[in-house]
Amino acid sequence: MPEDGTPEAGLHILGEGGLGFPAPQRTYARVAYGNTQPDAEKARWLTVRPDGSVVAYAGKVEYGQGIRTGLAIEVADELRVPLANVEVVLGDTARVPWDMGTFGSQSTARVGLQLRKAAATARQALLEMAADRLDLPAGDLRAEAGRISSSSDGNRAITYADLIGGASIVHDIDSDIALTPRAEFSVMGKTHTRIDAEARVTGRALYSQDIVVDGMLFGSVLRRPWRGAALQSVDTSIAERMPGVVQVVREDDLVAVLADTDEHAAAAMNLLQTQWGEPAPTASTIDLPEILLSSAHDPFVTQEAGSLEEGFTAASGVLEATYFVPYVSNAPMEPRAAVASWDGDRLTVWAGTQRPFGINTELAQRFGLEESQVRVIAPEIGGGFGSKSPYPVAHEASRLARIAGRPVRVAYTRAEDMIYATMRPAALFRIKSGFTADGRLVAWECHAYHAGDRPFLGRRGSDSPYDAAHVRVTTYTSDSPLSTGSYRSLGAAANHFAREVHIDEVAAAVGLDPVEFRLRNLSHPRFRRVLEHAADAHGWQPAAGASRRGQGIAIGVDVGSYIATAVQLDVGGREVRLDRVTAALDCGLVVNPEGARNQVEGSIVMGMGTALYEAIDFQDGRVLNAGFTRYRVPRSSDAPAIETLLVGDDDTPSTGAGEPGIVPIAAAISNAVFDRTGERQRELPIQRHLR
Amino acid sequence: MVTIFINGEPHDAADPSRNLLSFIRFDAGLTGTKYGCGEGVCGACTVLVDGQPLRSCLSTVGAVAGGSLTTIEGLAPEGALHPVQQAFIDEQAMQCGYCIPGFIMTSVALLNREQSPDRAQIREALSQNMCRCGTYQRILRAFERAASPGDVTHA
Ligand code: FES
Ligand code: FES
Repeated sequence: MPEDGTPEAGLHILGEGGLGFPAPQRTYARVAYGNTQPDAEKARWLTVRPDGSVVAYAGKVEYGQGIRTGLAIEVADELRVPLANVEVVLGDTARVPWDMGTFGSQSTARVGLQLRKAAATARQALLEMAADRLDLPAGDLRAEAGRISSSSDGNRAITYADLIGGASIVHDIDSDIALTPRAEFSVMGKTHTRIDAEARVTGRALYSQDIVVDGMLFGSVLRRPWRGAALQSVDTSIAERMPGVVQVVREDDLVAVLADTDEHAAAAMNLLQTQWGEPAPTASTIDLPEILLSSAHDPFVTQEAGSLEEGFTAASGVLEATYFVPYVSNAPMEPRAAVASWDGDRLTVWAGTQRPFGINTELAQRFGLEESQVRVIAPEIGGGFGSKSPYPVAHEASRLARIAGRPVRVAYTRAEDMIYATMRPAALFRIKSGFTADGRLVAWECHAYHAGDRPFLGRRGSDSPYDAAHVRVTTYTSDSPLSTGSYRSLGAAANHFAREVHIDEVAAAVGLDPVEFRLRNLSHPRFRRVLEHAADAHGWQPAAGASRRGQGIAIGVDVGSYIATAVQLDVGGREVRLDRVTAALDCGLVVNPEGARNQVEGSIVMGMGTALYEAIDFQDGRVLNAGFTRYRVPRSSDAPAIETLLVGDDDTPSTGAGEPGIVPIAAAISNAVFDRTGERQRELPIQRHLR
Repeated sequence: MVTIFINGEPHDAADPSRNLLSFIRFDAGLTGTKYGCGEGVCGACTVLVDGQPLRSCLSTVGAVAGGSLTTIEGLAPEGALHPVQQAFIDEQAMQCGYCIPGFIMTSVALLNREQSPDRAQIREALSQNMCRCGTYQRILRAFERAASPGDVTHA
């Protein structure tokens, strides 16, 4: 409802605030992210305005996945209005229903369903109003393109706008309402340009980095030189006298310069004299494998079947190998930034986070406020790939703004964003497999060691989908010298890399083509289908062992979506040239096909970077290659031609398209490098290990 | 005091050493030009100076004094989109969109220089910019669509 409590004109559809989030997920949100679920009061999900246009409200954020357009499509179809008449308000805690955060495609699907129900409720209400006004039985009426007309007499019609007029009408979502059957969708499943595209190409789209408010100071925050470093002393006297400096703040662990411009703040920050205390870290890149193995704790069996002993006894061949992936940076194009502004004891913060409600709760707790006294607005977000759930700059800006009594902006530089945001954990894998001479896997033993303190990252995607009767997969949590966190697909991409390279090695060992070998050991129909589609469309040429053609393939599953990816590449010296990639994705029913393809293409390019170039290097705990001059990511001159086939059934529920693309690509590339050169690549990034 | 023209409007800067990107974004209030790296390697901050591309993050106001700058906001002053902007929409060449203003300015600059650049020139020019969302294939198609309207065959 509007803030003053009087409902504005329009047809408003209300529903439970936290709906769409079953209890286990709320617990997960609390445990994993510290979110608290507010009392489920009613929230507004949808409004049909007096002019007939529609606004949908959702607690999700747009960070490149096209969610605004996806949700608008669902609403447009259900409410029978043109897509252009739908607006979607996202991520503003004062305006939208509570949401756990934007990180799982499942929860996105649930919000989409809730909005469809809201839209169907609105349509039903409009039909009933029209029946009254036109004095016709509701059964004779149909809704189309924002108006309701009689099926028997097309001249008797009324628009949504005329139905609503200046009235304010409120309905609760009818959760049992009949939704539009698939066959009647006219918007869903078709190609649409994004509803927010024009704002992006004209520079009007506002990201957190772009928020400027009146009287705002620019903050530059003192950063620790290594993880866990403790500040012993700081001398601010010179910095305080620098031009443009308004204040040098020291409050507990927070030391910052506040100045009239970004440059003045940064220049003064450079003049702080600091002393950092023990413990000085000693870990360096080269120590990683040893750290991962020797510090491993909390073994957790993610998959177990049969008896490994029996399996290895039955096997005629056994293969053992070790695989390694380094730390990689999410490095979204937009470094994190936040602006905070206080008005008495009310706080407004613009922060490009995936969980505006979570940050809202954190800030309320920090300052001892009611959650309703805090408003977090997540504007457009320039990428994140999973890592923008924690948002420390929102806290820093809020603290500084309170101290200064003026709005404050805190923004990471590129280097800060790479060092102080989280990275994808480094990981090491030991895999031992047993197989028969005719190419059947009988035993699979995998030990996966993922750095970091969040075991669920490393567990994702660790299961083997192959048919072996004797299986044990164990994941471990290992110490991490650098700070780790969520990355596209969490640990699934790393787990898939190790597994799918190993499978390729077994295929070569038994003298079978990699596609043929996989099919022999896969009974899951969705896996078989994506694999067959990808191989076919790619023009896969069966070969046992290295064919020198440079073709490679791998399969994967993530967030309930199945994928197979085939690549074609060439190797010249220490440079791998990726020419062509074919991906077959089964993500069930597709709401927005171009959006799904776009996501798969992006995941492939991102995964290509991890396969070939990317690794965070560090020495004595300090990151050595922060910034894009020293950390290579793919550019357009590196990017392959990508073909994406969407091969899922319309009857299977929608699952995510944003993450599966990244899970098989590194293995497919490694396998293709083997196919081209005859040399196995068990460590990433491959270009460092080419001879 | 120096004066620069941005999208046809004069802007005064007291300090010629003021970073050009910061000036454009925070002093002139044109935030469509983005900060991505500050090191001249990502292209997010690309603007046109007398039609040619410049990484504004590595420049100062003084360095372009008297010059005529175009930012993303100035490409379509009359409201109708520039053909390059329209092509990025039509090809869905964006995800988060943060890199897109930079790519559009780089593309416009190339078209200012070369009426019909060949593939190598296009790749070379566009590889000056980064898109972390990986929409390169679409960006390339958008460029081609804008460069040769009419003979784009794919959907
Ligand atoms: S911000 Fe200027 S090139 Fe990256
Ligand atoms: S669209 Fe996100 S960086 Fe290019």
